[in-house]
Amino acid sequence: MAVVLARIDDRLIHGQVTVGWSRQLNPDRLLLANNAIAADPWQSRVYASSVPPEISVSVLSIAETVAFLADPDQVEQRVLLLTGSPGEMAELVRIGMAVDRINVGGMHFGAGKLEMLPFVYVDQQDLLALGRLLTMGTTLSAQQVPGGREYLLGADQISDMEARF
Amino acid sequence: MIRALVMTHGQIGTELVRVVEMILGPIEGLDASSNSGLSAEDITSQVEAWLAPVVGDEQEAPERAPTLILVDDYGGSCAHAAQLACGDRPDSAVLSGVNLAMLLGFVTWRDSSDFNDLVHRLVQKGREAITIVGNR
Repeated sequence: MAVVLARIDDRLIHGQVTVGWSRQLNPDRLLLANNAIAADPWQSRVYASSVPPEISVSVLSIAETVAFLADPDQVEQRVLLLTGSPGEMAELVRIGMAVDRINVGGMHFGAGKLEMLPFVYVDQQDLLALGRLLTMGTTLSAQQVPGGREYLLGADQISDMEARF
Repeated sequence: MIRALVMTHGQIGTELVRVVEMILGPIEGLDASSNSGLSAEDITSQVEAWLAPVVGDEQEAPERAPTLILVDDYGGSCAHAAQLACGDRPDSAVLSGVNLAMLLGFVTWRDSSDFNDLVHRLVQKGREAITIVGNR
């Protein structure tokens, strides 16, 4: 099992993922890790229905995701993994998902959030989770689409943002 | 009266509605919105706000006017938000691949068609408009 992209994107499954990154990375499976959506068959179906037929799709809880990725029977798959927030990604890594690099792909504006990059808005909780991802040894690469500008987010950027709250 | 919302990336929807009104004059109940800068959750809230009955229109409640949402991209954030907000209500439908022909058809037929017939007719109309011009 190889995670070819572990992406934080609050729009979850959408064009930048199903067309943009999938064309670049050719994943066999798109895996959406989200407890609320995994528990709701209707929402799961809405998201799964938009994935191109050549890509398999799974909508799993955070715990199921880690188990799925560790399953030796799945070893040949190229997986594009999605979470809606840095907190969920940090939880995946904390409970055992092996990944070196996190793609910070889209965190849109919301109440109480400040701009870190034009496509990355954060609150203090997000910063805490991004900091935890760094501490656990992952690289944070902010990039919206393939070929787009990449920004590496380090501890300095995170503490600069924290100081703005 | 059947209402329609054209919801797209960027300003595609706003411009489509503007062009329809340029051709046919001002249209009541045809609105546009964009997903620009919004999270999935906020796009869904935006659709829910549009679906909610207009304030001051309580005498018409609970009978809501049938609603049609036209989005640009099948499987995009607009399509998801529209589906999640509409649920499985029989008096609402979400169509993807919105084009000018569909919107002109909507305005032309909405008062004379049954809701389900209108939905299917618009999909057919939209597809027919995609063709090789001059039939070469």
